[in-house]
Amino acid sequence: MFVFEKMKTDLISVRPETKLAEAKALMQDNNFRHLPVVDGNDKLVGIITDRDMRDAYPSSLLTEEAYQRTLAEVMQHPVEKIMTRDPITISPYYTLQDTLLVIGQKKVGALPVVDEEGHLKGIMSTRDLLQAFVNIMGINEPGTLLCILVTEKTGQLKRIVDIVTEENVSMGSVLVARDWAQEKRAIFPYLLTNNVMAIKKKLLEQGFELLDPMKWYLDQLASK
Amino acid sequence: MMKKTGFVFDEKYLHHKTFNGHPECSERLKVIIDGLSKAGLLEQLVPIKAEPANQRWIEAVHNIHYIMKFEEACLWGLPDFEHQDNSICRDTYDIALLAVGGVLKAIDAVMNREVKNAFCAVRPPGHHAEANQAMGFCYFNNVAIGARYLQKQWDVQRVAIIDFDVHHGNGTQHIFDTDDTVFYYSIHEHPSFAYPGTGREFETGFSTGEGYTLNSPILPGRGDEEYREKLLSDLVPAIDKFKPEAVLLSAGFDAHESDLMSGTSLSTEGYDFVNDTILGLVNGSAEGRVVSVLEGGYNLDILPMLVANHIRKLMEI
Repeated sequence: MFVFEKMKTDLISVRPETKLAEAKALMQDNNFRHLPVVDGNDKLVGIITDRDMRDAYPSSLLTEEAYQRTLAEVMQHPVEKIMTRDPITISPYYTLQDTLLVIGQKKVGALPVVDEEGHLKGIMSTRDLLQAFVNIMGINEPGTLLCILVTEKTGQLKRIVDIVTEENVSMGSVLVARDWAQEKRAIFPYLLTNNVMAIKKKLLEQGFELLDPMKWYLDQLASK
Repeated sequence: MMKKTGFVFDEKYLHHKTFNGHPECSERLKVIIDGLSKAGLLEQLVPIKAEPANQRWIEAVHNIHYIMKFEEACLWGLPDFEHQDNSICRDTYDIALLAVGGVLKAIDAVMNREVKNAFCAVRPPGHHAEANQAMGFCYFNNVAIGARYLQKQWDVQRVAIIDFDVHHGNGTQHIFDTDDTVFYYSIHEHPSFAYPGTGREFETGFSTGEGYTLNSPILPGRGDEEYREKLLSDLVPAIDKFKPEAVLLSAGFDAHESDLMSGTSLSTEGYDFVNDTILGLVNGSAEGRVVSVLEGGYNLDILPMLVANHIRKLMEI
C-alpha cells in the first residue's frame, strides 16, 4: 500500500511570511501539530510544529504583564524565523512500510509528502499511519486470530492457507513472528469468521501446534 | 410456588438447519435435552411454551428493513445471510421469531411469579446480532429484545444483561451503548484473539450510556483465576451500584477448556463459580428475577453437563 492512498490531502499550509499568530490559530482551530510551509508555487520550504511554537514563547517566569507584551511581540514574527527548513519528506510512492521505518528512524511525528519537483501533495502523520495499519491487520472487521507454531521450512504457510481455503474462510491478514523461538516461527492468521472449529481441528490433525500466547510468554519468563 | 425454574424448549428449534459441519447445529439442543432428561432435571422444570414473537417486539431493537431482508433471504432459500458464518434454511426466520418468543414467554412467567427464574434452550443465538446486521450465527438479538420487552411490557426501569459467552456480545453492547437504563456486562476472550474483535476494557458506553457498559477481556490460556478476579472486581461492584430490577443472562458455555471455539480455559468448577457469583448477585439485587438465554457452547460432549450445572444453580439444588 502506498502513501498516496492513505495520506491526508485536505491540506492547510502557511507561507513563510505568515505571522506566528495566524499559524498558531490555524493549528489550534484544526487540532494540528504540524503545519507545512510553502512558497508561492506550492513548493514545500519548511514545517512548523507545535513544539517549535512553544519554543518561541516567552519565558513563563516573566510577570503576566511582561509575558503578554512579549508574546504579542513574538506573534508578529513570520513563520520562516522558527520553521524547520528542508524537512524530511517522503514521496507519494513510498510504501507504508517505508514510512513506518522513516518515522521510527527520524523520530518525527508527521511527514510532508512531496512530488519530484518538491510540490506539497499531502501529509502523513503517525496517527494516519496507525489507522492504515489497523486496516492492514484487518482488525476493524470481526474475526478470530489463530496462533500457530511451525518449524522453519518452506511450504508451511501454504499448508495453513490450504486448510483455511478448504473451509471457505476469508483471511483479514497474516502476521509472521520470525523470532518466536529457535528454528520456529509463529504464524498468526486473522480469519474473518467466528467459525474456527473445523480449521483448528484440521490444523491439529495435520500436526500443527496451536499456540497459547500467554502460556508461551510465561514459559519464556520462567526460562530467563 | 417459589424456587421453581421455568424451561423454554420447542422441537421446532431443531428446524433451524445450518450447513453440515457448522458448529451451531441442532445437535446442540438435542444433547442438552438428553442430558437434562438423564440427569432427572427435565421433569423438575416448569415447561414454558414458546410462541413466535410479535414483530413489534423485534422492531423494538432491529431495523425494519433488516427484518425484511432476513425474512426474504430465508424465503429465497439462500444458504447464508450477510456472511457465510450465518448459515440459514427456509425455516430460519420463523425459528428465530420463535426463539425470541420463547424468551418473552419466559419473561412473562418470571414477572407473573409463576416461576422464580427461567432458562431458555433456544437457537439461533442472539448476542452478536446488531440492530441492522446478522453476525456470528445470530439474527435476532434475543436478550436485547427481552430487555426492551421488560421495559415496555412490564414497566421495569433498570435491566442488567450479563453475558458470559466466551465471545463478546457486540450486538447487545451496541444496541444499548447510549442507554443508561440497560447495563451490559460481558466477560469474554480478549478481542485481539477472539471473534468478533470488540469488547475491550475501554469500551464503556457513550454519552448518556457512558459507564453503563463494562467489559472484562480474558487472555487466551487463562481461566478460573482470571474469571474469579474479574467477576469480583468488575461485575460485583457494578451490579451493586446499578441495582437492576431484572437480569437477563447471555449464557455461553464455550469458554470451557475443552471447547475448541475459544482459547480460554475455564474449568467445570470455574463455570460453577461464574454461576454462583452471578446468581448470588441476582438474588441480592433483582429479587432473583433472572431469565437465562442460551448463546454459544459447541463441544457436544461437555455442553449438556455445563447446562445441567447451570440449571441446578438456577433451581438452587
